[in-house]
Amino acid sequence: MKHWIRLNALALQRTVAAMVRHPLNHGLNLLVIAIAAAFPFGFYLLLSSVAAVTAQLPVEPQISVFLKPAAGSAEIGGIKELLAQDERVANARFVAKDEALKDLQAKVGSDDLLAGLTENPLPDAFLVTTRSDASAAALDALKTELAGRPGVDEVQLDSAWAQRLERLLALGRGLLEVIVVLLAVALALITGNAIRMQILTRRDEIEVAKLIGATDAFIRRPFMYAAAVQGLIGGLLACGIVVTALYWLNPAVTELASAYGQRFALHLPGPLEIGAVCLVTTLLNLVGAWLAVWRHLRRFF
Amino acid sequence: MIQFQQVSKRYPGGFDAVKNLSFEIQTGELVFLAGHSGAGKSTLLKLIAGIEKPSSGAVLVNNQNVSRLGRKALPYVRRHLGLIFQDHKILYDRSVYDNVRLPLDIVGFDGREVKRRVLAALDKVGLSGKEKLNPVALSGGEQQRLCIARAVVHRPAILLADEPTANLDRDYAHDILELFKSFHQVGVTLVISAHDETLMADYGRRILRLKHGEFTA
Ligand SMILES: Nc1ncnc2c1ncn2[C@@H]1O[C@H](COP(=O)(O)OP(=O)(O)OP(=O)(O)O)[C@@H](O)[C@H]1O
Ligand SMILES: [Mg+2]
Repeated sequence: MKHWIRLNALALQRTVAAMVRHPLNHGLNLLVIAIAAAFPFGFYLLLSSVAAVTAQLPVEPQISVFLKPAAGSAEIGGIKELLAQDERVANARFVAKDEALKDLQAKVGSDDLLAGLTENPLPDAFLVTTRSDASAAALDALKTELAGRPGVDEVQLDSAWAQRLERLLALGRGLLEVIVVLLAVALALITGNAIRMQILTRRDEIEVAKLIGATDAFIRRPFMYAAAVQGLIGGLLACGIVVTALYWLNPAVTELASAYGQRFALHLPGPLEIGAVCLVTTLLNLVGAWLAVWRHLRRFF
Repeated sequence: MIQFQQVSKRYPGGFDAVKNLSFEIQTGELVFLAGHSGAGKSTLLKLIAGIEKPSSGAVLVNNQNVSRLGRKALPYVRRHLGLIFQDHKILYDRSVYDNVRLPLDIVGFDGREVKRRVLAALDKVGLSGKEKLNPVALSGGEQQRLCIARAVVHRPAILLADEPTANLDRDYAHDILELFKSFHQVGVTLVISAHDETLMADYGRRILRLKHGEFTA
């Protein structure tokens, strides 16, 4: 046990000494690792920021049911009754075409637009607010049902954009997974290669050590420490890059969002997220180093 | 201590470096290994250390079949050996001191013990005061002494020296052999190879003579 601690202390000490001796080489490696890790991390933060906003959006979808001009009061009454009883519906309001025209005039702010019209072009309509817990499939079913009623001309589901955003987010998450997997493999390869370079510069020492009774663990140890230190610093650097980028981008993003009347900012990584990033980069570095050493040691008995 | 049972070694490519060798070396014995260049001396020593595996037969060291040992076990057997390589395998990126300490680092000795043993080994081979030098600053004979210091610093029971007197003049070669004799006197088992048999004659020890991979009388 005492020997084991001493062997490890010695290996760590040599690792740090080697890094200090070749700052440029190690610095470049660290930068590559940091950038490779910064991409998925930054993308993840972007996604979670957007997801946080969409969670607050009023997602109670609206359904507009436009009636045929010929629809009679019996048909309107039937639809009204149906909507009142339906569990998916939170609230339904009948908007007569005259009322709709007045609304439109008020919005446009002048009579000119409509002056040329001899009759009201707008249909009677129901504005339906559905319950927020109704699923997209349930809403689609409701839409089809309403469209099949006598007297109904057209049914519009206004929540389509919210669903589109939701799908876009899902796509983003899928994309994130792909990026994470690809860059994880790349990171392990990059660090494996960096460690392979260190192995090559010390190949004579490794050969002699193997010949006079070094275990594989003894050979591997300093490289594993180098990889761990490299991964940890690389991870911290990645977080530094991301935080700097967010600070730099956030004013512009906030301004853009406020132009659309939204309060929105990219959220900065918390200690848990930073810890997770460092843990992942460290583990990937260890995997890369282990493989590199294993490949090199295969040639010895 | 060392036992060969019908050992043959065929290198990839089909060349038989040693053929059907059987012999035994007792604990504490000093044995010379003679033979022309290419006779198989280095191969025989590598077989003892498990650096090469026999194509057939068994090599026993301390009653352990070296050829059957796995990756995990072999290093611990090698720590009982002191190896002096024909091509030296000195590390020129570090001092004499750091070359000699390598076997101790592998085992995990603590700093004070390392210092004590390295300085003692350097003193024993006559390199006192040169520990801070880079090995390139040493003469050929001194480099040979450095190899010996590295081979004995962890006090192995068996010392295998591959042509330790090559390229040295006769007097210097005798100095080196005297050094080995002193290890023999404290109970170390030694196998020393050389192609110049006249050097060995003065010591009256057993000589294993190899010719094209086989023993001759
Ligand atoms: N790794 C190898 N691959 C193929 N052939 C080898 C290998 N090592 C040695 N040999 C061959 O085996 C034969 C014996 O080699 P070895 O090195 O044991 O001879 P030696 O007695 O030590 O010679 P020297 O006195 O020149 O060192 C030689 O003919 C050599 O060419
Ligand atoms: Mg040889």
